[in-house]
Amino acid sequence: MAFCIIFLTLILGAFGEEFIEEIFIKPLPPTHLYSYFQFITLVDTESFVHSNLAPRSIGEVISRFQVDELHMTLTEGQWRHSQWGYPVLDAAPGAELYAWFNPEVKDIDLEWRKLSATLSGLFCASLNFIDSFNTITPQMALWPTGAVKSNLNVTTLLRYASLPREIVCTENLTPWKKLLPCESSRGFSALLNSRMIHNTNYHSIGVHVRKVCASEDCTETKLEIKQTVALVYDYKIIGSNDWSFRKLFGHGLPGACPLATSSIIHVDITSNTSYPFQLSPMPDKVVQSRRGGSDLKLAVYEIDASVEMINIGVKHSTKEKLSVIIPPPLHFNRYVLGYGKEFGGIVTELVNNYWTAIDVVVLENAPWWLPIQLSSLRINSEAESKLVKSQYYSPGRSRQKPYHLELLLKLPPRSTTTITIDFEFVFLKWQEYPPDANHGFYIGSAIIAANLPTAKNYTSLPVTGINYHSTINASQSWYPAVFRTNGAMVSLPTPDFSMPYNVICLACTVVALAFGPLHNICTKELILKPVGTPLSLTQKILNFFKRKKE
Amino acid sequence: MAVIVKYLIAGLVRYWLIHLDYWQTIANRVEIATPLNSWKRLVEGVYLYDHNINPYEGDSFHESPIMLVIFHCLLKRVPYLLPLLFTVLDLLTAYLLYQTSKSFMKIFIESQKKQKNDIADESKPMLLNETQLNEATEYVLSVYLFNPYSVLNCAGMTTTVVQNLLVAASLWNASNGRGILACIFIALATHQALYPVLLIVPIAILLADVNKGCNKCSYIRTLLAFVLCWGFFIYISAYIMDGSYNYVHNTYGFILTVPDLKPNIGLFWYFFTEMFEHFRLLFVCAFQINALALYVVPLTLRFKKEPVLLATVLIALSTIFRSYPCIGDVGFYLALLPMWKHLFTFMQQKFIVGCAFIITSALGPTVWHLWIYSGSANANFFFGVTLSFATAQIFLITDLLFAYIKREFTLKHGSSRQVEGKPAKLVLR
Repeated sequence: MAFCIIFLTLILGAFGEEFIEEIFIKPLPPTHLYSYFQFITLVDTESFVHSNLAPRSIGEVISRFQVDELHMTLTEGQWRHSQWGYPVLDAAPGAELYAWFNPEVKDIDLEWRKLSATLSGLFCASLNFIDSFNTITPQMALWPTGAVKSNLNVTTLLRYASLPREIVCTENLTPWKKLLPCESSRGFSALLNSRMIHNTNYHSIGVHVRKVCASEDCTETKLEIKQTVALVYDYKIIGSNDWSFRKLFGHGLPGACPLATSSIIHVDITSNTSYPFQLSPMPDKVVQSRRGGSDLKLAVYEIDASVEMINIGVKHSTKEKLSVIIPPPLHFNRYVLGYGKEFGGIVTELVNNYWTAIDVVVLENAPWWLPIQLSSLRINSEAESKLVKSQYYSPGRSRQKPYHLELLLKLPPRSTTTITIDFEFVFLKWQEYPPDANHGFYIGSAIIAANLPTAKNYTSLPVTGINYHSTINASQSWYPAVFRTNGAMVSLPTPDFSMPYNVICLACTVVALAFGPLHNICTKELILKPVGTPLSLTQKILNFFKRKKE
Repeated sequence: MAVIVKYLIAGLVRYWLIHLDYWQTIANRVEIATPLNSWKRLVEGVYLYDHNINPYEGDSFHESPIMLVIFHCLLKRVPYLLPLLFTVLDLLTAYLLYQTSKSFMKIFIESQKKQKNDIADESKPMLLNETQLNEATEYVLSVYLFNPYSVLNCAGMTTTVVQNLLVAASLWNASNGRGILACIFIALATHQALYPVLLIVPIAILLADVNKGCNKCSYIRTLLAFVLCWGFFIYISAYIMDGSYNYVHNTYGFILTVPDLKPNIGLFWYFFTEMFEHFRLLFVCAFQINALALYVVPLTLRFKKEPVLLATVLIALSTIFRSYPCIGDVGFYLALLPMWKHLFTFMQQKFIVGCAFIITSALGPTVWHLWIYSGSANANFFFGVTLSFATAQIFLITDLLFAYIKREFTLKHGSSRQVEGKPAKLVLR
């Protein structure tokens, strides 16, 4: 058996394909637990005529539409940055898709629509609703994470869209699991049991494709296809703060995927000092990581394909205790202002807790039915704020283009910055309202891109990193992060949906009321008509109705 | 003296309303501000232009580039003068209307003199005299100065104030026989809001009547001057926008295709909200033809001798049927009506129309509040009110025309309603 696996791995190595599966588990004291799965396939070739481990369907999408880098996430729930810190990869609620295309692509918008339609079929998601009216080209907020040729203007190659109304469920997870080499029969993906993972506070599945350097000098690139799952469990739902794989996923881990070159589980045990707990079984090793002024302790399990069922778990030695949550250096909040259905405003609050200034890019992406007015933009109630270093605005057009505002802000140390912008409610055509019109309309989340000066609460991989091991002792001068704020909801004024015939008839009647007399005046002339002898009452009544008819 | 007091009071009321705490509420009212003329959108457009963003790229600005540049200058240099400017412009409109009505009264007297031979003896006392006519001009002034519709329109600082001024200026110039100026002003008004294009017909007739001589030559001259002016303004606007004619989609395109369905006092918004997508184009065409082309030719043929009446009726009809009407437009044509004071005795629906105006003006804001803020009414309520407001206006205009032809008949045949000694009644045949 062991020989077989080694043989298989050798063959695959010869084909230049590699598969890595990893789990990162981090308790988010006092009430939540974060578990993050990543399944990485590295492919040498880009042709996808033949592939062993890499999902062929994704490969075909990438090569057919000439995509250089692709990020797609399907998320349910809201990541609470102020309580939970930062996730490895942030995602907007609902569906989010962005991609950089190859510079050789002639009509990017056309390829973008084709791409979204194909992915929609692949993941059973409503990505086919992506069109020019909800697509933007972020100018400052998003940058490729993969290898790109220098002196290339990547901004024009980027397209971004989010569908905040999308509901993520089992039908998206099943095709997603089918892309993995072991599917859900072996390996870490066997843990992803939709009955359990849709029972979480937050779950997000994603596919991220990028090019990574194959050699030191980066003359050659490899394609990295990364499939991720992020889950946040509530201890209330598990029943206690003692968790185990059986409690989280319904059953233990049935060994690693035999096709994987490495299968590693990292458990963040830094919080062990404040919330003492005991891991079982004991980890293979414990790694100390010092990164940008924060110390981490990671318990590492290297899982073998031949092992029996293992059930990693944690038992707390003390009862739950309450603690003060220290928010991360940068956190934010977003809400809608105003009452009534005529005028409103969107407020984005950014809090910088750190002792130096932080540069952030805020991208507001308002759909066309929420026309924002740039003249009403206020930062800390100031019209022309000094905090704004750069600004980009692309006005929206009804049914064609969303409103897109990007601000490069310098957040002063230990401060709260409030960005307010007004909008007006739009009255849609009756057929443009979604089925439950009074449910409300979702506003997508704003993107906040920051270069954090500290790695406190920071869990993301370094840009050049592939596996989770690359985070250990990865100190840099700054830590790039892209966050999504919470979404919002507005209730647009609705017409009476049962009225079309009545309204058409009534309005046309009023037009006819003008047309009739004007026609008479223009075409007829006044004459005197003799009136007969005085009439009896009945005849008068009859005549009255007759006259009406005339 | 009394006149100056009138101007002073009207000006102060407007100026005071602009400086009121509730100004924002007035300027945002759906009845006053439409997507086409609202102050908020003008400010947004100027702001975008100032930040080197083409305001016509988006959907927030629909004024002409000429207005954009003028207001850009004003907002940058003298923003504090704008309330005063709007007040002065509105007072100027009132003054021009007053002067226009005076000239119109002279035209009335002349045409009365011409028709003297056709008038029945017993109808002679019905002829207009100087005092009556002078009274009418005073009413024109008062109605424009104190009509709540025009007062609120000015207080809301809508661009309709400018449009009213341009229309008034062109009427005034036309009534005094200054053809070129009349054409320039009407071309400017047309460039801004398209619907005043109708007025070129009565203006051409007026100019031909005032400057006696070859009628046909005069018509052609006026039309040519108008088209040239209009073309020139379109070109100038494109020049302002760096040679791009894309602004046309946001100005005329926006007016003609009605993409914004925000409620207003007109007939379009709910009709096109509830329209089946398949028939949208058909009905957009039908409604725009109704507003722009349908009534011009028949009314011109019928009232060729009365260009003033023609102008009044066309202004009113285009106000009722335009895609984004506001009460500023209504206030403007209501101010022209006192010129037809002598027809009021022949009008039958004065009371009904008056009541309808008062009731709908009170009910409109109420049901709007119930629908949008309280959530206890729905769109049908507001639609009902706008529908009855439009009906009332239509009744007013058709009644005015009927009154005119009745008076015409009475002047010719006397006021007795008898045929060969038997009682008779007036009917249309």
